[in-house]
Amino acid sequence: MSLSAVRRPRPSPRATWGITIAGALGIIGFVGAAQWNSSVERQAFTSSAQQVLADQVLELEAEQQQLREDIAEAEAEVRRIQEDATSSSAALAALNAQLEAARLAAGLTPVSGSGVVVEISDSNRIVPPGENPASYIVLVDDLRDIVTALWASGAEAIEIDGERLVASSSIYGVGASVLVNTSFLSPPFRIEAVGADGLLDRFQSHPAFTGRVAQRIEFFGLEYAAAATDGLELPAFVGTTRFRWGVPVAEVTP
Amino acid sequence: MSARIAQLSLFAVALLIGILLVAQLRSQARPTEISSLPAQELSQLIDTLSERNRELRTGLADLRETLREYRVAGSQGQSALEVSREDLRRITAFGGLAAVDGQGLVLEVEGQLDAIALNDLINELRNAAAEAIAVDDIRITHRSVAVQGPTSLVIDGVEVGTQFTISAIGDPDGLLNAMERPGGIIAQLEQFIQATIVARQSDDILVPATEADIQPTAAEAAIAE
Repeated sequence: MSLSAVRRPRPSPRATWGITIAGALGIIGFVGAAQWNSSVERQAFTSSAQQVLADQVLELEAEQQQLREDIAEAEAEVRRIQEDATSSSAALAALNAQLEAARLAAGLTPVSGSGVVVEISDSNRIVPPGENPASYIVLVDDLRDIVTALWASGAEAIEIDGERLVASSSIYGVGASVLVNTSFLSPPFRIEAVGADGLLDRFQSHPAFTGRVAQRIEFFGLEYAAAATDGLELPAFVGTTRFRWGVPVAEVTP
Repeated sequence: MSARIAQLSLFAVALLIGILLVAQLRSQARPTEISSLPAQELSQLIDTLSERNRELRTGLADLRETLREYRVAGSQGQSALEVSREDLRRITAFGGLAAVDGQGLVLEVEGQLDAIALNDLINELRNAAAEAIAVDDIRITHRSVAVQGPTSLVIDGVEVGTQFTISAIGDPDGLLNAMERPGGIIAQLEQFIQATIVARQSDDILVPATEADIQPTAAEAAIAE
């Protein structure tokens, strides 16, 4: 038997390429299938166990939307009546001027002006093994820090995703969800603030911003952008302004 | 020919990797679809939304009552004046421009709270539907935040010592439960910060008007659509 007869044929470079790519595709296919299966399982679980609760949330949100629209409509009607009455009485005119000023100060009037727009969203980085995924998403504390820094820097009016902040506003976390006033918000969060010139510089150098959230933006790659902007328009607060447990103590003239 | 096959293969591999990376990123991101939230979180959301909707219904009923009063008054004369006065009392009190008298919760705080902790306490009271809040005699408006001053915490330019009182008007039971619930704000602060916080309900709380000027100067009233 000649030597050449027992020597195994060397694979051609083309065959090596093919084997490599086939192997890579096999691994990718396996990972893809696992990913797909986990998604399907999660979907099935969602549809059976959580759908009832999710439907309730959606119903409550729809009810809330309707309530807010009804409140905005009723508020507008009250203001129309007050404006109409202004022309008929000097005393009413003076009183309604006070009302307008009070509404403006309290956040119950839409406002316009120059200021700052801030956008922040979850990190796009892949969470390294062993690290807490919660570090890579925008937390309620991040929004509170930003809002605190804006107020402390001289902002006169702030909204988060259309929710105007007033004296009763809370920024509240339910798990990874964020509630502002009565609304359930999700990222990206857009915060608009009206204030005097230089608001952006004051805000971004304020310890309430640099102390915690700025570091999280840097360490975990939270998506962040801020810019000084003219012509901002912030909506009025929509919600209840009534007291159930207290009585206003105020001398009102005329 | 072989170069073309290699290019196509590489393209296919890159495409698949891209798709899988996107899927991976999506699976680690926060669930933004309501139906993908955990059951416990959904239950909490239902509780919170139900409570907020109840407040909105009450507010709407009050507004409609105001409208009815205006209509009865015919938008003129002494009655309309009185309805507007009442509206002004309510709005000035809501914004912190007027004092509020009522029942609620008093927190006696002593310790080294930092600005974040004090702001968190205030936020928690707001979330528990406090209608008016003061730290000592400083009325908390929408613009009031605690910041670290040169020697102590400062709110609206006024120093706050290491011993202070937070007064909140609202449902006394609701406020107390929110503050003292296991794992709640008081438990957290007492665990992580050297502080004692004593909560007591009261039916005689006076929250003063703000002394800060909160009338906007840069923001102008815009015409509502």
